[in-house]
Amino acid sequence: MANKNKMFFALAAGILYVLFGCMQIVEQFGIKTGLAELLLIPGDIFGGLCLVVIGAVFLYGAKELNSGMNMGVSYVYVGILMSLVFMAVYVLIIGASLLEVYLIQNEDYLEWRIIDDIRPGLYLGFLSLAGYVAWRGRFSLPAAK
Amino acid sequence: MTQNKITIALAGNPNVGKSTLFNAITGAHQHVGNWAGVTVEKKIGTRTYHDTEIEVVDLPGTYSLTAYSVDEIVARDYVVEDKPDVVVQIVDATNLERNLYLTTQLMELGSRLVIALNMWDVAESRGDKIDTTKMEEFLEIPVVKTIGNKGEGIDGLLDEVLREAGKGAHHEHEVSYGNEIESKIIELERILVNDDALSARYPLRWLAIKLLDGDENILEKIKVSPMATQIDNVLNTIDREDCEASMADKRYEAINTVLPQVCERCVKEVTFSDMIDHVVTNKYLGIPIFLSMMWAAFEVTFTFATPFMGMIDMFFGWLAGVVAENITTIWLGSLLGDGIVAGVGAVMIFLPNIMLLFLMLSLLEDCGYMARAAFIMDKLMYKIGLHGRSFIPLLMGFGCNVPAIMATRTIEDERDRLITILVNPFISCGARLPVYILLAGAFFGRDAGSVIFGLYMLGIIVAILSAKLIRGTLIKGKPAPFIMELPPYRIPTVKGSAIHMWEKGSLYVKKAGTIILAGVILVWLFSAIPSPGVDAAFASEEILGTGDSLMGALGHVIEPLVAPLGFDWRIAVALVFGFVAKEIVIGSMGVLYGVGKDEDALGDILVAGAMTPLSALGLMVFTLLYVPCIATIGVIKKETGSWKWTLFAAGYTTGLAWIAAFLIYQVGTYVGWGL
Amino acid sequence: MNETTLNLLEPGSKAKVIQVKGRGKARKRVLDMGMVPGAEIEVLRKAPFGDPIEFLVKGYRLSLRKTEAEHIMVQPHTE
Repeated sequence: MANKNKMFFALAAGILYVLFGCMQIVEQFGIKTGLAELLLIPGDIFGGLCLVVIGAVFLYGAKELNSGMNMGVSYVYVGILMSLVFMAVYVLIIGASLLEVYLIQNEDYLEWRIIDDIRPGLYLGFLSLAGYVAWRGRFSLPAAK
Repeated sequence: MTQNKITIALAGNPNVGKSTLFNAITGAHQHVGNWAGVTVEKKIGTRTYHDTEIEVVDLPGTYSLTAYSVDEIVARDYVVEDKPDVVVQIVDATNLERNLYLTTQLMELGSRLVIALNMWDVAESRGDKIDTTKMEEFLEIPVVKTIGNKGEGIDGLLDEVLREAGKGAHHEHEVSYGNEIESKIIELERILVNDDALSARYPLRWLAIKLLDGDENILEKIKVSPMATQIDNVLNTIDREDCEASMADKRYEAINTVLPQVCERCVKEVTFSDMIDHVVTNKYLGIPIFLSMMWAAFEVTFTFATPFMGMIDMFFGWLAGVVAENITTIWLGSLLGDGIVAGVGAVMIFLPNIMLLFLMLSLLEDCGYMARAAFIMDKLMYKIGLHGRSFIPLLMGFGCNVPAIMATRTIEDERDRLITILVNPFISCGARLPVYILLAGAFFGRDAGSVIFGLYMLGIIVAILSAKLIRGTLIKGKPAPFIMELPPYRIPTVKGSAIHMWEKGSLYVKKAGTIILAGVILVWLFSAIPSPGVDAAFASEEILGTGDSLMGALGHVIEPLVAPLGFDWRIAVALVFGFVAKEIVIGSMGVLYGVGKDEDALGDILVAGAMTPLSALGLMVFTLLYVPCIATIGVIKKETGSWKWTLFAAGYTTGLAWIAAFLIYQVGTYVGWGL
Repeated sequence: MNETTLNLLEPGSKAKVIQVKGRGKARKRVLDMGMVPGAEIEVLRKAPFGDPIEFLVKGYRLSLRKTEAEHIMVQPHTE
């Protein structure tokens, strides 16, 4: 049953996104979990909330699939799309920093290393990328007009 | 060498790929303007094809040609009055039925039509089989298959357009409305033919149909006709409501007799589009998803704009340096450096933000999500007297009010749009934050965060209340109905979005730029002319921006006005400078209090007695509410097209700011908070 | 089943338009968009706050507020 795979995928992705999202929020409030350095977690309330939302979409999908609702797969697909969008956002942020370093040679960016801009939203995206590749046949939308 | 010149108009429903096809035909040879008298975008391009110069006019996207919106009136007036040689209707092959509805109306206008059957590849890939030969036969209109985003079928389309333009008289194939209505049409035609003015401009049958259709715009025109009473007599014999319904019905009926023969299994299935919709309109997740997508759009806009803004800043800094070095006449150097270069810089610095925001918006619009955003937020917006489409422009205001006001173009109804523009400046933009940070930090210490949050909330509350107030007084009535297509999701093309971004960017620079520049030079003049009695040269260093300039004198003049708010003349001057850009308030306070750019020192001076926490709070509220910056005023003028509304916006905001700061200071002092 | 107004139908239900009431521009727009007597429609879903509502009509998706849907008389199909 193909949907079973999707359910487990959604469950795993959902838990990860909610967890990392919460850690970003907690970090912003100055509560040290000790994991921030290791997992590159920034303190960022809104960014964290967005990750929680993505996670919630995945978990909702897992719940629907678990209760035998086939429309549950929609949530998994949308969750994947959203996490890919956020992955793209974080890639663009790195791009902006690179411009600061090499084009503008902004003094504030002298110490900048690529690792400073790597966020959970970026590396968790690889999970969704795998999901996208695995089920890419379903993501069929015509090109705009 | 070109010999002939023809004009063609592109018509079609929204979301059918009209702009893409327009770009594919005209390439870079286009310019954007406004239709006379209204703020509807008008795009004109040219293309030379087989010795013929073709002028292509892009009409606004419409579903119909009634008088429902300005767009529809603009489109039909153009077709009727300017009489383009050929009208090309772009038809979405995946939704023939509703698209052909517009075709029936274009046919009635008596225009020479060519249909571009766009996106037929999409229709075909999902299993539709459209027989264009049959379609041509039934509609008696040439049909050409096109794929706009791949540029396919453009030459075929232009061939057909030239052939059609070269034809003499053409047969008008029309919808038949049934005996009863047809007899009324003939009756009206017989009366209308006696009105020379109208019959010269409009096709008679079309006029008659529009009258029976209850078209407000045409009914208005008929009022001044010498035939008015006779026409009224005929119209009184019919049941208007019934007539309107049966006419729409007959048009769809006409389409439905054609459709089954033209299109084999034009189908509908549960598509990926439906799956996305199912999730993004989910009762619990819909709004959080929407807000996260907005956050993503903002994050990209503002982080990615920063390096480009840095580049522009460096360029103008360099330019100012060049000016300072090479121009030794002090006043000229200052006019060029502090006035014009700084002024143009102030305009250009927003450009990356504006272009990126519009790139994001265009991506969201093209993929189809924007319509869902309006769908999701409509109920909330309706409650405060606005339309679902008003939400995004208001949200964008948190970044910058300038692109936010430009983005109100997506709101169809003029009155909804006007209210959205007028309340937008209350949404606290990024430029106001430095003012809050300094003052709240200096006076409220640990509570600074709550104070700033409170200011943002105050802005939202004032915007909501103002919307309700304006809706109840100046612009009465309910928000426009929410009768909106939710187009299927599509993958946006980079090219389409990039073109949109470029258009908006250049529009901003061209139009708003002139007003902003004039304003900046005016403010510079005030700060460069010595105040009466001061012995110093025009635009000398001792004068510029200090209390000894005319601006300082002005500050003293308006001091009595702001004294009840607990402000002295220095703050008055700083607020006037803040009109250029709100973040300047802090900088000019620094100059006036003699601490220069040292913000910490400024904070210390203010706390040491120049201000009280109460007047600081008043100043923050005043900064939030009073007249928005020149750039915003510039786009308000441009987007409302009216000095009256622009002045209203300036006066209303400043009046409100004064009242709010007055209440805070006076009530606070009375209660004893100011101590 | 008896005639009812469109705003009262639940998502998933299908119906045939009998009559479009009301007057003026909004009504004409509704008719132009294909909500003509005889048209087959399906209620797809409601917005998160319960309003507006999304319909499938003439092969595309149209949304209306409840106040606009109130004016549309329909004959629900029983399934």
